[in-house]
Amino acid sequence: MSTLTADPTATTRAATSPSTAEVNSTLAGIMRGEWIKLLSLRSTWWALTSTAALMTLASLAYAMSLDTMAEDPVTAPGIEQMHGAEIVASGFPFGMLIIAVMGALSITGEYSTGMIRSTFAAVPTRLPVFAAKALTLVVLAAAVALVSVILSYLVTMAQLSQYDLVPALADPGTWRVLGGSVYCLTAAALFSLGLGTLLRSTAATVTVALTVLLLLPGILSFVTLDWVQTIVSYLPLPASSTLLTTGTTDVPGANLSTYTSLVVVAAYAVVPIVTAAVALRRRDA
Amino acid sequence: MIEAHELTKRYGGKTAVDSISFTIAPGSVTGFLGPNGAGKSTTIRMIMGLDRPTSGSVTVNGKPYGHHRSPLGEVGALLDAQAVHPGRSARSHLRTMAATHNIKASRVSEVIEMTGLAGVASKRVGGFSLGMGQRLGIAAALLGDPRTLILDEPVNGLDPEGVQWVRQLVRGLAAEGRTVFLSSHLMSEMAQTADQLLVIGRGRIIAAGPVQQVIDSVSGGAVRVRSPHAGELAAALAADGVTVTLPESGTLEVSGTTAEHVGDVAFTRGLALHELSPRSATLEEAYMSLTQDAVDYRSHTTTARSRTEKGQNQ
Repeated sequence: MSTLTADPTATTRAATSPSTAEVNSTLAGIMRGEWIKLLSLRSTWWALTSTAALMTLASLAYAMSLDTMAEDPVTAPGIEQMHGAEIVASGFPFGMLIIAVMGALSITGEYSTGMIRSTFAAVPTRLPVFAAKALTLVVLAAAVALVSVILSYLVTMAQLSQYDLVPALADPGTWRVLGGSVYCLTAAALFSLGLGTLLRSTAATVTVALTVLLLLPGILSFVTLDWVQTIVSYLPLPASSTLLTTGTTDVPGANLSTYTSLVVVAAYAVVPIVTAAVALRRRDA
Repeated sequence: MIEAHELTKRYGGKTAVDSISFTIAPGSVTGFLGPNGAGKSTTIRMIMGLDRPTSGSVTVNGKPYGHHRSPLGEVGALLDAQAVHPGRSARSHLRTMAATHNIKASRVSEVIEMTGLAGVASKRVGGFSLGMGQRLGIAAALLGDPRTLILDEPVNGLDPEGVQWVRQLVRGLAAEGRTVFLSSHLMSEMAQTADQLLVIGRGRIIAAGPVQQVIDSVSGGAVRVRSPHAGELAAALAADGVTVTLPESGTLEVSGTTAEHVGDVAFTRGLALHELSPRSATLEEAYMSLTQDAVDYRSHTTTARSRTEKGQNQ
């Protein structure tokens, strides 16, 4: 235990010497603090690698299934109607799952461990550190979504070329689907961050976030009441799905216009974040 | 300098801190003493801006904590439970806090050295013992080289060597002119470390001032007398305001008067004395006497209550 032996003389010496560091709280510093926070946790790296791995593998699996579709005379004509970008982006729900958990953990991990008190002791005004956290998360979520889409594009290329389905970069449809994928995944991260700030508990946040983001449309698809189906079309997954296709999609309830979908998806990010920011300022840590 | 003015915190119907006012002066160690649940941690959380006071106010170095441009340069705090993510290494934890204030990496290494964590700095905090966690908390508090230190139960879980180290550390910091505010429920620790005391019970300040003064205010001192004529002497001493007890035969505990007076009375009556010793109460006795009405969770109260509940259930 010699490593734990403190040297009292060291204390006095260092404490007497005036601090040479420029000790001042700045926004740039707070941003850097949040970066270190996210990247110094193993769970972040697990989330990032599994997002990329799962999204890429899912798109590859979907691309490989084109072979069986082509053999079946019923499904074979459908292949021509497909857009290659939809296949590249087909790992989207897996990405949403993990990125939502990552967004939730970035704040609930602080509340459940007590870290939040260190965070707020360093930044007692709170909002700057919350903004920094949101921004860090946006950058990280967008980056991993982009990398996953690029990887998916590359691994499916050989298979898609056999069916002449490699999405052309000159085709605006390609950018709509792939860009929409990154846009919606980033929104999912912010949705969970906002929700996690309000609920504080990891279990509660992950349950609510995944239910709203992924499960609810499937569950409610059996309720054929008109007003329920209207609600379903405004849920995150159906709203995202209309952005992730160039034609129509078989996701239940995906019938909003492109612009409505863009706004609805943005609202899922902005509303929880703003509500959380207001609550964060008022509540005891 | 910490100044609280009629600081109050209520959680629902329960008042955790009840309109307390105090000033903690720089250059000395002030002990914040009270039983568990007395409101120590709540008060500290309000000083740090973590909890919002229901009413009243508290400032550090002249401003509410959140209004300072360099919060960590003003106040370094060790907060009650470990306020650290267990998945992060000690160094990473300190780096996240240092980054917010543009504190250099060299200062992070410095506080790691100071607190004796050099050997475990790259290990994840989840595997730390309570004592190592306390050292990390103290390292975080020292990070910004703050003018004011607030340490909530700093010696909790430390080994004797660690306790000694904290004692030297806080004495050193106070000697440099810093404000040191130290909470504890251990009176023995306070007797050795603090210059000033702030005693809290059930959310109210029940005593404040220099350590010896707080002790004297409660005990008023007692005189221990051993005499073969204990009975006679007890009768002779009986007067208004004087209490005489006989802890064992031939021995008297006299309070409410001085040793001189006891000696004079014995002399005039011609009673031999074998011992006459003025005894000042210990901090522990003062503390027990101060807080006996202010303990929220006392064992016999609990049994009494559970018996009543059982009675009602039948």
